[in-house]
Amino acid sequence: MLEQLAPQIVNGLMLGAFYASVAIGLSLIMNLTGVINMAHGSFLTLGGYFSFAMVAAGAPFWVALIAAPILTALVGLALERGLMRPLYGRDPLYSLLLTFGLSLIAEEVYRLIWGSNGVPVSAPAALQGGISLGTFQVPTIQVFTAAILVVAMSALWLFLNRTRYGLRLRAAVQDTEMIAALGTNTQTLYMVNFGLGVLLAGLAGVLAASQLGLNPTSGNALLMPAFVTVIVGGMGSLLGALAGGLLIGMTISMMTLFFPAASDVSMYVIMAVILLIRPRGLFGEEGLFG
Amino acid sequence: MTSGRRAGILAGVAVLVVLAFGPWIGGFLNIDTSFLSEVLLTAIAALGVNLLLGYTGLPIFGNAALFGLGAYGAGLAIKDFHAGFAVALLVGVAAAFVGALIIAPFLLRRRNIYFGLLSLAFGQVFYFIAYRYSDVTGGEDGMAFTRPALNLGPIRGTVTETMMYYITYGLFVLAIVSFWLIVRSPFGQTLVAIKQNELRVRYLGLNTDRFILVGILIAALYGGLGGALYGLLLRFAFPLLLDWHQSGDFVLMTMLGGAGTIFGPLVGAIIFVIGKDIISTITPAWEIFLGAFFIACVLGFPKGILGSIGDAIARRRAPAEPNETAP
Amino acid sequence: MSDVLLSATGISKHFGGVQAVDNVSIAVERGSIHAMIGPNGAGKTTFFNTLSGFFLPDSGTVRFEDVDITREANWRRIARGLSRTFQTPSIFPDLSVYQNLLIGTQAKRGVAFRLSLPRGKERDEIEARIEELLGFVGLGAVRRRTVSELSHGMQRLVEIAMSLSTEPKLVLLDEPMAGLAEAETDRVVGVIRDLHDRLGLTVLFVEHNMRVVLGLAQRITVLDRGRLLAEGSPGEIAADDAVRDAYLGKEIIENV
Repeated sequence: MLEQLAPQIVNGLMLGAFYASVAIGLSLIMNLTGVINMAHGSFLTLGGYFSFAMVAAGAPFWVALIAAPILTALVGLALERGLMRPLYGRDPLYSLLLTFGLSLIAEEVYRLIWGSNGVPVSAPAALQGGISLGTFQVPTIQVFTAAILVVAMSALWLFLNRTRYGLRLRAAVQDTEMIAALGTNTQTLYMVNFGLGVLLAGLAGVLAASQLGLNPTSGNALLMPAFVTVIVGGMGSLLGALAGGLLIGMTISMMTLFFPAASDVSMYVIMAVILLIRPRGLFGEEGLFG
Repeated sequence: MTSGRRAGILAGVAVLVVLAFGPWIGGFLNIDTSFLSEVLLTAIAALGVNLLLGYTGLPIFGNAALFGLGAYGAGLAIKDFHAGFAVALLVGVAAAFVGALIIAPFLLRRRNIYFGLLSLAFGQVFYFIAYRYSDVTGGEDGMAFTRPALNLGPIRGTVTETMMYYITYGLFVLAIVSFWLIVRSPFGQTLVAIKQNELRVRYLGLNTDRFILVGILIAALYGGLGGALYGLLLRFAFPLLLDWHQSGDFVLMTMLGGAGTIFGPLVGAIIFVIGKDIISTITPAWEIFLGAFFIACVLGFPKGILGSIGDAIARRRAPAEPNETAP
Repeated sequence: MSDVLLSATGISKHFGGVQAVDNVSIAVERGSIHAMIGPNGAGKTTFFNTLSGFFLPDSGTVRFEDVDITREANWRRIARGLSRTFQTPSIFPDLSVYQNLLIGTQAKRGVAFRLSLPRGKERDEIEARIEELLGFVGLGAVRRRTVSELSHGMQRLVEIAMSLSTEPKLVLLDEPMAGLAEAETDRVVGVIRDLHDRLGLTVLFVEHNMRVVLGLAQRITVLDRGRLLAEGSPGEIAADDAVRDAYLGKEIIENV
């Protein structure tokens, strides 16, 4: 029994790390600018494809792991500057539709370049195989993935809570006008914020490629659980995204073991339950209307 | 009644009259009658999005779920209960209504993007149900069924494509007229006020949640009706009908035609359905154009076609305003 | 003793680490004009918010006509006879002045939730009521104008008229004179005085402009840093040393 359980737990942690990273990226962007980035999944996929291309061209995995997210972030920044900036003052719905349009274009572009069926990506040789924990084995790549993502999220946390610029970012979420009045360049702030969110997505995408498959829509498959994670964890809370991600990841993993047919609906059940007993989410802030 | 309003009503009636000749116009332009039916039923469903998004200011991203519930509802009524045409239609609408009733309490707790996010998530719940419960819904492959005969007293017989068009047309007229009555009623005026400033509406003594709830339910009626007609048109229902991409399509065509205008959804549906068809025959990469279209619309055309026309007319009519002084 | 229309006892509210309101109480007598003053950040708007149900206090009670409304939803308080304006006029910007007043008037008459348009006698009554409101604030001439195009002062008057459309007993005005030019201020002051003198309403207002407060209020409550500093008649407050030190001195210099 334990032999079956341990891998599922590790799998759950890995999934949780994925959902949390994607959710945190989404939250970052949503909290500051109110934009629901429907193209976030496309950035994930892009990260995956970039790493695939680099590895296919002969680069070592470690290089791809660092370079692909950066490239993805650069693409994101270019799009932010060119297409999204004009929409910041307006109703966030427009940005949502814009990113939705981007996701459609991205999907088709991936299809044209790399084909509809996806490309096979395997973990680097060094990370294949398993780690022995007593009597059972857990896949090395999953532990590695979870670890890297946790490190990345911790780095982000440190940046937001222990640096001056991070402080400005957090302050801007509270009151953008005030921050601008105090002299901060809000355009740069938005850019950095968006870049961070996409960077994290790209990283998750590189790691997800070998674990969850890489095809034109694979990123979107992580997007919905990430949305649910944001809702469960609480809008406006990065800690909530982490907690929510873990909760959902673990649940789906356990469900796959015990009730496979219900595994993908299970996260919505959690969402519904949380919304009933604690509408603001695990760590969210209270709404305005009494 | 102001002359502007009168002109608007005349224009609307003119459009409806023209649509009555749909099959002939379609024949002339070499467009399938069933295709025109699809345009009209899509427009009916988009009216639901219009009410919530254009008039109440609530971004709804789960409309496809209501649409799909309509299609599946009609289909299941036919497949499992051998329902006739009219009953299948009603069951589809009822299914969407019940679906909205279930998710509304969750949606009511939030506004703005969070409302949109929640409606997106709940829409996906229905998508997954359609996808997973393949015993009932046929799963990924979808659910095929026959188009039953119509059996309403003197009107009976198999429903041909032409007849399908006229049924859809009749229901479209019903939908447009009811929509018009709703938005000009005190209820509709309050929805518009909620879009302007929900807090102030509450401070005028109104429980805005009640208004929004009813708005959601009305949207479900339109969405479900469109979906049921869709199912009956194609004799088919499939999970992707409920997916958020489909919801995005509804939002796009509503905005494209003009959110907050009565005929906006129709204009949007015409452009969207026909445009999508034309482009996809030209290139398999039509999604790029769709996406680019979204983006262009959002960046350059936020009020949509009818909205922009309305603005232009208003600007031309208003005389230069003198600076107001305290009377 | 006169009849107390609105009373709040021991209201406290904190945000994060900040105690915005600390154990503040007030008793507003029916038919009085009561002012609440205090330096910026004294907690006046926060206190107002608990009275009007914008959010709930951490502790304390609010009673209206001797009924506990502390936890009641904001829209319900309106039916009881409470009404409120905000620091920035809370109106419907893209609608006309007439339409702004229509929403509240329909709400009061219980027809807001209807799908059928009011007809005949009902419609006439609604239109008459709106004309009455327009006349009261003197905005009849601009009834068709879009509110966002009006001056700040006129928007404020629209908002006051809207708050009257629900036929309140008590009107809470949060810094009604904020952002107004001198001439506009006088006009709004006149309207506020009319609320009391002509309509017999009870008024509780927050204000910084001491000239206005001393000329208008019958009773003044002073807050400082979230706490109740003093309460009394204008004469008493103007003579109170603590008040003078905390606040009045600076204000009078500013307003001279």
